[in-house]
Amino acid sequence: MDAASQYLSLDEPHRANHLWRYSPWRKVHPTGKVGEIPTSLASPTLTLTSLSGGVVLAGISLEKSSGANQVLHHADAVTESFLKAITTDSAFTLRVENNFIPSEPIFLDIDTGDSPCAVHLTLDVGRHCEFELITQIDGAAPWTGLLRSGRIGEGTILNDVVIGHTDAGTFLRVDNISIGRDAQVKTGTVSSGSERTKADLRYRMGEIGGHLRVLGSILASDKMHLDHHVEIHHDAPETFSRLEWHSACGGKSRTVGTGMLRIVDGAHGADASQLFQNLLLSKGAKADSIPELEVSEHNVVGCGHGTASGPVDEDQMFYLESRGFDTDQARDTLVAAFLNSTLIAMGSETMHEWLTNHLQEELADLSS
Amino acid sequence: MSVDPPVLEIRDLHAGIDDTPILNGIDLKIESGEIHALMGRNGSGKTTAANIIMGHPEFEVSQGSVELNGKDILEMKPWERARAGVFLSFQYPQAVPGLQVGNFLRKSVAAINGEDAAKGPEFRRTLKSAMAELDMPRSFLGRYVNDGFSGGEKKRFEILQLMLIKPKLAILDETDSGLDIDGIKTVAKGINSAVRGSDSAALIITHYSRILEHVKPDRVHVLIKGRIVKSGGPELALELEERGYDWLIPSGEDSESETVAATKD
Repeated sequence: MDAASQYLSLDEPHRANHLWRYSPWRKVHPTGKVGEIPTSLASPTLTLTSLSGGVVLAGISLEKSSGANQVLHHADAVTESFLKAITTDSAFTLRVENNFIPSEPIFLDIDTGDSPCAVHLTLDVGRHCEFELITQIDGAAPWTGLLRSGRIGEGTILNDVVIGHTDAGTFLRVDNISIGRDAQVKTGTVSSGSERTKADLRYRMGEIGGHLRVLGSILASDKMHLDHHVEIHHDAPETFSRLEWHSACGGKSRTVGTGMLRIVDGAHGADASQLFQNLLLSKGAKADSIPELEVSEHNVVGCGHGTASGPVDEDQMFYLESRGFDTDQARDTLVAAFLNSTLIAMGSETMHEWLTNHLQEELADLSS
Repeated sequence: MSVDPPVLEIRDLHAGIDDTPILNGIDLKIESGEIHALMGRNGSGKTTAANIIMGHPEFEVSQGSVELNGKDILEMKPWERARAGVFLSFQYPQAVPGLQVGNFLRKSVAAINGEDAAKGPEFRRTLKSAMAELDMPRSFLGRYVNDGFSGGEKKRFEILQLMLIKPKLAILDETDSGLDIDGIKTVAKGINSAVRGSDSAALIITHYSRILEHVKPDRVHVLIKGRIVKSGGPELALELEERGYDWLIPSGEDSESETVAATKD
């Protein structure tokens, strides 16, 4: 059965489903008519450069491909089949050869243009690479879909950051990525654009020794609704994962962070935890965080979760004000610090400097 | 001939929290170049006094005035007081994960002393020399503000800020607590270098006379139940070390009843 037929055979997901509790599928779907598969979606423009804008290096390439037949593990059937169906002519593979070690971060720009669009990007990352990848989604499309799938090869060290930076509209992002044996992956999400984001990010620790950190720096302002669901599946022994998610909400925005940690029977020595923290910057802002655990293996190093929400800390405010920061400066500095504590963990100093500069433009919006 | 007003002049200060009085009429005057010590047991109102001078929003002043160089500061916000020249070295400074020390220091000095004071070779030289004086490694600048600092590191970091900001009035709230003797000497060196020989003044809040052996106070005041009950020269600190505080409690009052303010000290 092809992806379109599979999608059409499925019922609309129920809101009792953990994934769809806060952002029903009909509000995420491009037309709202969930029985429909739009045929007129455009393909965004993908540009691969080094972070300083230089030409792409040998050892990494972006090529047209077909992702429709890929088998995704632990995927949500609705979004998988829908996104595959609408990206049959808009699928690319980012191929990274074994031992690829560039001297600066790689930058992949996905320009949505101003029409609804979608893309399926497969990450085919070889063994023993060591690099940083920033993927930025920008443009003015009213609807954008991004499916990232693939595998990070054995022993590779990858810092992977995705920036949702569209001007407005809805952004549907689905990650379905497998972490190879002894690979060390940090995957960061910086979300500061779009009116509505629905992200379903799933990572499979399917080989022994995989090491994963999932980090989020989420800025919501005005009436933005940013919903991120993160699943980490420990399917192999001696795997390690940490999820640290920081959301700052101003205006009448809402952020949602739901997490699922699954450790299967046999994944002995797994070590996993997830922590969601929310900073509420206005009375109208709202944040929900729901971490969940399913642990079927008794011999684990640790498995925990936590969540905390609150306004800017009054004692921290007083401390900064006693050091001459006026009230707005103190508040902005604390918000920036809160987001920076996950941002800085996403990658190298070069990457952090770039991300910090990127974030400065967004902080002003949070004051409203 | 005009006479310069004192750096700090507090008159009949009454203050408290949630209708509970903590300070019950404090009078205190500190002239330029002077270092005073405010001593007292836990719960006597020392930290409350420091917080009120700095403008902590939790406390309410019901009566009296606090003037800095002749100007009433009670209506000012904390940041306005900081820019006017008040500095509080906190007993328990706040951690701010995500905010790097170097960035914080530059912003703070720029806010208080102007943008020019926080950049260029002169600022870098001052910073380097102050850090050397306090035995702080360069790597400190890359850490997050007070995040994971030991007790001694927190206190040295407060003094580093004092040395860079060079305020008119430095209030040091139990800066000696939790420090070993070498730490006290280092911190005292920083306080002396920031205050002595300048137009600044300092109020050192402490339980013990240890730090006062290294930072010689001009005056010592004893705070009991929100009132200064005795003032004297440096010898008073030594007397308190020997005799404790009970002999200063007004007759008829319970020596163990300083519990209200204790929650804030």
